Amino acid sequence: MNNIKQFKQMFLAQLKLTFREKQAWFWGIFFPVILMVIFMVIFSGGSNDEFSAKVAIVDENPNPTSETLLHQINALPVLEVESGGPVSREKADELVKDKDVDAAIILPESVDATSLLLVVNKENEQGITAQALSSILDKFVQQANLFAVGAEPIYELQFEAISSGSNELNYTDFLLTGMIALAIAQGGLFGMVDLVEMRRKGLIKRLRMTPANMNIFGLSDMIMRLLFSVIQIILLSLIGVLIFGAKLYINFPSLLIVFILGALSFNALGYFISSFSKTTEAYMGVANIFSFLMMFLSGIFIPVETMPDWIQPISNVLPLTYFVEGLRDSMVYSTSIFSGTLWLGIGILAIWGILSYLIGSWLYKRKSIVATR
Amino acid sequence: MTVLEVKNLQKTFGTIQAVQDISFSVEAGEVFTIIGPNGAGKTTTLEMIEGLVTPDQGEIRFGEMNWGKHAVAIKKKIGVQPQSSAMFDLLTPEENLNLFATFYDKARPTEEILELINLTDHRNNHVKKLSGGQRQRLAIGLAMISDPEIIFLDEPTTGLDPQARRNIWDIILQLKQLGKTTILTTHYMEEAEKLSDRVCIVDQGNIVTLDTPAALIEKLTEEREVRLSFIDGAAAAEEADRYSKNLDSVARTERVGTSLKLWTTKPEDTLYSLFGFTKEKNYQVEQVSIRELSLEDVFIAFTGKEWRD
Repeated sequence: MNNIKQFKQMFLAQLKLTFREKQAWFWGIFFPVILMVIFMVIFSGGSNDEFSAKVAIVDENPNPTSETLLHQINALPVLEVESGGPVSREKADELVKDKDVDAAIILPESVDATSLLLVVNKENEQGITAQALSSILDKFVQQANLFAVGAEPIYELQFEAISSGSNELNYTDFLLTGMIALAIAQGGLFGMVDLVEMRRKGLIKRLRMTPANMNIFGLSDMIMRLLFSVIQIILLSLIGVLIFGAKLYINFPSLLIVFILGALSFNALGYFISSFSKTTEAYMGVANIFSFLMMFLSGIFIPVETMPDWIQPISNVLPLTYFVEGLRDSMVYSTSIFSGTLWLGIGILAIWGILSYLIGSWLYKRKSIVATR
Repeated sequence: MTVLEVKNLQKTFGTIQAVQDISFSVEAGEVFTIIGPNGAGKTTTLEMIEGLVTPDQGEIRFGEMNWGKHAVAIKKKIGVQPQSSAMFDLLTPEENLNLFATFYDKARPTEEILELINLTDHRNNHVKKLSGGQRQRLAIGLAMISDPEIIFLDEPTTGLDPQARRNIWDIILQLKQLGKTTILTTHYMEEAEKLSDRVCIVDQGNIVTLDTPAALIEKLTEEREVRLSFIDGAAAAEEADRYSKNLDSVARTERVGTSLKLWTTKPEDTLYSLFGFTKEKNYQVEQVSIRELSLEDVFIAFTGKEWRD
């Protein structure tokens, strides 16, 4: 009975402390919102546009072959032909050099000529547009070849991207879930600085002099933090959905599990950092290193798959990678709670949490005498 | 009735032997003061008694209770104001007191404590906006919230202005009137002398001496310093100087102009003879004083150290 009374008062105190701490509001709420808005404004614009390239066509000696090809190229929707029709070779080279067009296509000069020339700017040789143009023309030539020998293609590749919840997954959804994960992770990672401050001021020592139940104190603190994270998740989701048109397909049981385990794990990580940090500055330094490392390597802004091969193994051990994956699974792909991959990710996250907590507790115990001095 | 008994406490941190061998007992209702130079082992001794630090050796007993078996019961019986006045800075004094009150089965009304520590006017300000003296009073208030039998005050007045210090003295005297036992450490001799029933001087982890302030001062009264100054000029002072040198009780003298200082083992006898002499010569004496010995003299005599804040 007394425990319940104690919990109520402690929770009330935590609530007041959090509400009155301006830093908590700034870093926990305001900062993630601003960061998300900035990223969404920068990166979402035009992300839905389809691929298109601007080309110049050179047809120095119009002949039946070149005419057929010209006709077919004009019919391709992804190619925009400069000045509507063929230009001279010199003009085309100049356009490529000045990057006014992505490439120039030189059509065969006679009925018997068999080669089609693609001219691109050296600087853009490895660019996505040049690569894509080259493969488009390659395919085009192949078809022409098949046609020339009178064969029908036997195999055909069809490409379609799918996802279980929505096939419209776009960068907005990606970024929104990433920002939610980042905000919760940073909340845990940076939030435990209170513990260092409390220890430095001797408040932990002071509480230990009373018969107060420190487990209840810890519990009330944890619940306050989870509540704060709930506010983060709701606020960021609302902004993402209402302002930037993100589409969420939420599986609530999965989300609940991922959220609680994730928030607890990152708090445990913060607890671990606090166990060996004597000052708040030291704590913030370590937390910042963790935070920056994870911010860019865990697929918050950029998918892990697109990162260099040598970085991916690092990404694949970081807890935030699995947290953000879990959040995307449960908030965008509507992955059910019975999914194996979901639990694998949660498992790795939980291992991080449990290990951090155990090592942190051990360090606290080992140094308890020194810490109280 | 003995409420606290400490026997042969020892504590070593790494290579530093903070407490070598400390034993004492505290009676119910007394103000027991521990003084000593910085690093003498005062705080370590207190922290061992408060259950924060486990002693390497020795015994601590609160009546029949000890930390090993009755930790929670002892925590309910004692109130502690640690040196760092630790509390929740973003809560108000009232909220801090209310929170601490829930830690105990029985607690005094918050109102009463606020009254006692004279913070009723500041009950709704955040603690971080309070002055040093107000914070210190709140720390004492937090130590009193459970109405404990024994209160530990670790340097409650350090860094406070004289006014704020006197405020805290009043609180300590009120606690004494309520029949509480207070264990105090302090940096101010004046404070120890005024408030304590018994004083324990600690140096290098050992107890140097332990007694009532008056008895401690008594131990030192071998030579007292007496000062006189003469209206009739330096010549009169010189005459008096010559006369007093012949008195058995006077150990030595010192004369500057019209003022004369003498060190005597029997100040009354010396003055009686000296006044006989000045009456006879018709010299007028303007000022007479016998320097009072203070606890500070005792401290310096026992520890051989200047008092440092």
